[in-house]
This record gives sequence, C-alpha cells and structure tokens, in this order.
Amino acid sequence: MQRGLQQRARLVDMQASYECTNLRAEVGSRRGARRVVLDDVSFTVGKCEFVSIMGRSGVGKTTLLRILAGLQEPSPDSSVSFGGKQVAGPPDGVSLVFQDYTNSLLPWRTVARNVALPLEGQLSKQERETRIAETLEMVGLGDRANDRPFELSGGMQQRVQLARALASRPAAFLMDEPFGALDALTKSDLEDQLLDIVAATEMTVVFVTHDIDEALYLSDRVLVLDGTPARIEAEIVVDCPRPRAQLRTRESVEFLSARHELHEVIFGTR
Amino acid sequence: MRRLVERVRLGSLPGLLLLFLVLVGWELVGSADSPFYPAPSSWWPALVERGQSAAIVPALVDTLRTFGLGLTVATITGVALGLAVGASRVVGRATAPTFEFARALPPAAIVPVATLLLGFDETMKVVVVALAAVWPILLNTSSGVRELNPLLRDTARSLRLSKTRTLFSVLLPSVTPSVILGIRVATPVALVITLLVEYLTAVNGIGALVGDAQRTFQPARVFALIVIAGALSLAVNALVRSAEERVIRRRRR
Amino acid sequence: MGRDEGLNRSGFADALGLSVLVTLAGAWELMVRSKIAEVQFLPAPSEIAAAAQSAVFDGQLIGRTLHTVGVTLLGWSVASLVGLGLGLLLGLSPIAYRYSMTSFEVTRAIPPITLAPAALLIFGFSLKMELVLVTFGGIWPVLVNTMGGVQKVAPELRDVGTMLGLSPRAMVQKIVFPAALPSVMVGLRLALSLCLVLAIVAEIVGNPAGLGNGLISARQSLQPALMFTYVITAGLLGVVLNAALGAVAKGLMPGDRARRDSSW
Repeated sequence: MQRGLQQRARLVDMQASYECTNLRAEVGSRRGARRVVLDDVSFTVGKCEFVSIMGRSGVGKTTLLRILAGLQEPSPDSSVSFGGKQVAGPPDGVSLVFQDYTNSLLPWRTVARNVALPLEGQLSKQERETRIAETLEMVGLGDRANDRPFELSGGMQQRVQLARALASRPAAFLMDEPFGALDALTKSDLEDQLLDIVAATEMTVVFVTHDIDEALYLSDRVLVLDGTPARIEAEIVVDCPRPRAQLRTRESVEFLSARHELHEVIFGTR
Repeated sequence: MRRLVERVRLGSLPGLLLLFLVLVGWELVGSADSPFYPAPSSWWPALVERGQSAAIVPALVDTLRTFGLGLTVATITGVALGLAVGASRVVGRATAPTFEFARALPPAAIVPVATLLLGFDETMKVVVVALAAVWPILLNTSSGVRELNPLLRDTARSLRLSKTRTLFSVLLPSVTPSVILGIRVATPVALVITLLVEYLTAVNGIGALVGDAQRTFQPARVFALIVIAGALSLAVNALVRSAEERVIRRRRR
Repeated sequence: MGRDEGLNRSGFADALGLSVLVTLAGAWELMVRSKIAEVQFLPAPSEIAAAAQSAVFDGQLIGRTLHTVGVTLLGWSVASLVGLGLGLLLGLSPIAYRYSMTSFEVTRAIPPITLAPAALLIFGFSLKMELVLVTFGGIWPVLVNTMGGVQKVAPELRDVGTMLGLSPRAMVQKIVFPAALPSVMVGLRLALSLCLVLAIVAEIVGNPAGLGNGLISARQSLQPALMFTYVITAGLLGVVLNAALGAVAKGLMPGDRARRDSSW
C-alpha cells in the first residue's frame, strides 16, 4: 500500500508525456459519409506511466492510438501533444507496436536486420550491431538473430516486433492489442516480459486492449472509451505494487477491487 | 445488356482517363492520311468504307467458331487426361516428362508445321488451338482430382454407393470447380492462338482480316481491327468469368 | 506404403517418365517407318535427329538460336526496365493509379500478337520491327504486375515505414519494393515467355532471321524434319529461359516467398 502511494506521488510530479485536450476525430472517405468516432476526449499520460485504453470492438481505440502515433490527423480544434510539442506526424521517441506481427515484420529480412531497420542511418555499423544484440537479449531472442520471421512462432515474432520498437530506445510505446492473437500461455509470458522491459527502460506506455485482466495486470491506470462518438467514460486506478506477478498480483485485494470497479463500468452492475 | 456491362467489370471509370488522353493526343498529332499512325478518328471509317464492312461479321463468326471448337476439344481432352493423370500417382509421374515437353513447344512455332501436315483448313486451326489450350485444363483437372477431399471417398464408401454412383454423384461434382478454373485460364489462350493462327495462315477470321489489311497497306483498318480483337477478347473473358461465377454460386447454396 | 515414399523415390519416377517418353518416340518411329498410318510429311524421330545434327554442323541452328535469344533478352531487358519504372511510379501514386488502372486493364486485353501487323506496317521487314514488337509487348506484364504488387503492399508495412520516419526513397527501397518483389517477378517471368513468342512470330512474318524464319524457310523447301528441329529448339529455349529466371527468383526470395511456377 505504502509503495502504491509513493508511486502515485511520483507520477503527479512528472511532466506529462501525452496530453490530449478535446480530441475529436472523424473517419471515412473524402467524399463519402464521414463519421465522428471520437469527441471530447481528454486525458494525460504521465512520464513512465503505463496506461491502458479499453473499450468494445469498433469504439475507436485504434483510431485514438493512431492519432497518438501521428499516423492520423484529428479534427482541427483538437490538441494532442507529446513531451510538450503538438503531434504532427510520428513524434520522435515514440514507437508503435501492431497486433498483426506477420504483416508488420519484413519477411525478407532476418530477425537482426528487422531490428536494425529503425537504426539504419542513425547509428554507425558498429553501434548498430551492439544495439541489436542488446535489444535481442532483452526480449530473449539473442540466439535467433539470423533466422527469418516465418521460421519463428507467433509469440517470437511479436517479440521481434517489440525488439524493433525498442531498438531506437524510445521514450514511449504505443501498443495496439499486441498480444491479442496469441494463446493464453504465450500471452502471460509476454506480459511479464513487457513489464520487465518497461521497468528496465522507464518507458511510458499506452496500451490498447479489450482484455480486462490484462489491462489491470499491466497498468497503473485504465481508461475506458465508450459511446458513439466515443469519449473517456471512466478511469480506474490500479493500486497494485510493482513489480507485479501473475499469481500474487491477480489474487491481491487491490487487483480484485479494481477489477470489480472496471467490470461494473463496462458491464453495469449485474 | 446492363448486366453484361457490369460483368465486364472494367474497374472504375476514372481509370480510363489515361487512355482517353492518349487517344486525344494521337488524334491531334496524327492525321487520317499518315501511313503509319493514322488518327483514331479514321479507324471506324476505314472499317466500313468501300463495302469492306461486310467481311467483318462473318470473320467474327469464323473466329468464334474456331475458338469454340478448339476450346471444346481442349476441354474434352484435358478433362479426360487430367482425370487419368490425377487419379494415379504413377500415371502422373510417368506422363509428366512427355507432357512438359509438349507443353513447352510454342504454338506460334507449331503453326507452320501444322499447315504442312494438315493443310490450310478448319481442322488444322482447331488442332493448333486445342494443342495450346489443353494444358491449363489438364493441369487444373489433375490437381483437382489429386486434392480431392478424402472424406468424400470415405463418405461414399460408408454409404455403400456403387462405383458409378460414386463417380458421378460424388467425385465428378467435386472436381468441377477445378475444371472450370482450368477452362477459364484456357479461354484467353485459346482466343489468342485462334487469332494468331488466322493471322499466320490467312484462312478466315479476324486474324486473317488484319493480315489482309496489313498486306494492302491500310493502317487505319489494321488499328480498327486490333480494337475489335481487343473488344472480342474482353467480351469472351467476361462471359467465361460470369459463367464460372454462376456455377460457383449455385454450389454455395 | 508411406504416403509418398514408394513412388516418389526420385530415380524410379523419373526413369518411368523417361521410358514413357522414349517408348512414345519409338512408337512414332515405327509408325512412320512401317507406313501404318500415313501422314504426309510427318518425319520420324530419327530423321529429326539427323536434321538437327546437320543444322548444328552448318551453323544454322546455333546462329538462328543466338539471334532469337539475343532479340528476346534485349527486348525483355528494355521492357523490364520501362515496365518496372512506370509500374513503380503508377503504383506509388494513388492519383496516377486511379486515373490509369482501367486504361491498362483495357489495353491488356489486346493480344500483343495482334500488334504484329501494325509493327510490320510501320517498321517493315526489319530487325527493328522484331525489336519493337518484342519490347512493346513485354512492357505490359511487367508494368501491370509491378503496379499491382506495389498497390498490394500491406498497409501495416507502410505504417512501419511512416513511424520510423523513412524518407520516400528509403520507403521505396527498404519496404515497398521488397514487398512487391514477388509480384514483380511474376510479371518478369510472364514477360520473358511473351517476348520469346513475339520474337518467333516476328521472325515468321517479318524479320528474315532467327528460329521463326528458319521454320518458314524449312517449310518452303519442304523439309519437315528440319522444321521439327526448330520447333523443339524453340521449346527448349523457352524452358531454359524460364528455368534461369526461376532460379534467379528463388535466389532473391528465399524460403516461403519464392512463387511456384506461374506459367498458368
């Protein structure tokens, strides 16, 4: 409990990483019907915070993430900033991890060369080699550097994507349901691996998921996106101490009460 | 008629802008009398002038007839051989080198040989077309047989169906989609080879007309006939594709 | 017997296939020699072999083959470069794609062979005519397949490039082109087969050189065995060229990316 409060105090001091004010976003073709997907979305993500964004399918979580990533533009009145600067195009120091790892890894490059992609043109060959080796060690794929993606299992491929996102040592990770396509066992392995990485690198993470338990297990805060158009309907604080453990944390009082709260918000009291 | 136009499925209309611009540019730059690049506006008149238009419809009929006959022969032969090749691994491997060898011979090179051996008649044309078009049908039929769902065989046996019933009610219907695919792939081949044979041998058909216009130095007519050949090709392919879809749709239900 | 074990022992299967081929050739020889079924002008395999041998020795076969191969490869190379360049440009620009794709689909329906008469009219009986026909015909498959391949690049891959802040040139070089490579290779292989056929057609009707012309002159002098020789050589040429390009494709795209034989 003590540790939780200390953590909260630390967060309040930190300058916000991401800051969204009155975010409004539309989707649709230029000439066709345009639909307002997000409206009046406002939240902040503090430095080194792990925030999950939850919501039902199609509510707009991916749109929100893409806006944070700079891949999509919000409506003119919105304000989205990262590290104090308005987001216009992919911001420096932000990496995006996709759910569909098969289509986002380059199948014609080896694992090591995939991880090298963000570093080409930034680091010297020597520095690149070192960085790649380090990063692959962090995700536990040090011995698969020369294999091709199709030779690896789903979980390993996702780890390669993680490594690629990590290679540039970003300040923030944006993750779009990264473990959604994996089986339960691999999922828990990767969840823990992610927490280790985040703890070691002190990154900020915005994590999109529709898995309640995963959101609670990983995050400091869970934001619930709901409505048409969608807005932040609720915010659940997860007071569990870190480091977290699959069994201990999920059985703890703090976890269960946060889970109860989140459940009520999403499904109503039943 | 509208359904046919939809079926031709030319994609979106804006995509024709490039073609439109090229034709307009050609029109502006060329002239009707240019010996090499007559302007597009002169193509249609060249078709119908001096009573030469009378030859076109019969030529179309000739081309379609040769195409149809050739494709039919190719289908019958291709399915028969394909069934045999697909049914038995041994037969498949034994005949593979022979078929690969025959398949590699370019139809264009076969035409002069065919005219020597068979003369300048419809039979020769049909033989050459069939020779070229049989391969997609054969290959697709045999792979259709080989990829037959083993469960179907077991089902037929557990229902104690006779051999003939098994063949006609179970096996042949399940091979049909592959056969249709083979026919669809073979169709453009058959049409192109028909035109080629007609051009090289000047017996009859659109291909012969083009050769004729070329030898009498009528470039506008040549281009007009090329357009007709292209339109014919689009129409035939669209028809076969829609026939294929109708067969597939009936099975889905 | 295990699913593939017995019959797929490579040696046995190939030997069986070859012996079938040889048996058929033997039957053919017998049929002609014994005059069971008389087909005028049909040569026996032994006659074909003899004709081939003399054609090699008097330099005809090799000279003509070299001509045809040379024209095919030259035209194909130029066509590939043009088709690749245009295909990339058109595929990368959504505007260009939208206003031109249907045009290409429509003109693609025109069988390149029907362009031979036009080429003949414009360029006469010359090497130029053959080269123009081969090159022009070869551009379309490369262009259309390159364009399609570029368009089909998975949006996630493009997003990855955008997220990494890749310059347009790096984007094409590192992501778009490698991703489109399988389609590009299909286009290149189709173009190669087409170029060979167009070369032969051009030689039959227009340019007095090469294998096509060899066919015609053998026909005019009523030498069917020599004709068969040229036909078989043309076939072998096609197989060799296709196999060579296939090997290159496999080298460029190891593992699961190499496409299977695409001649269908």
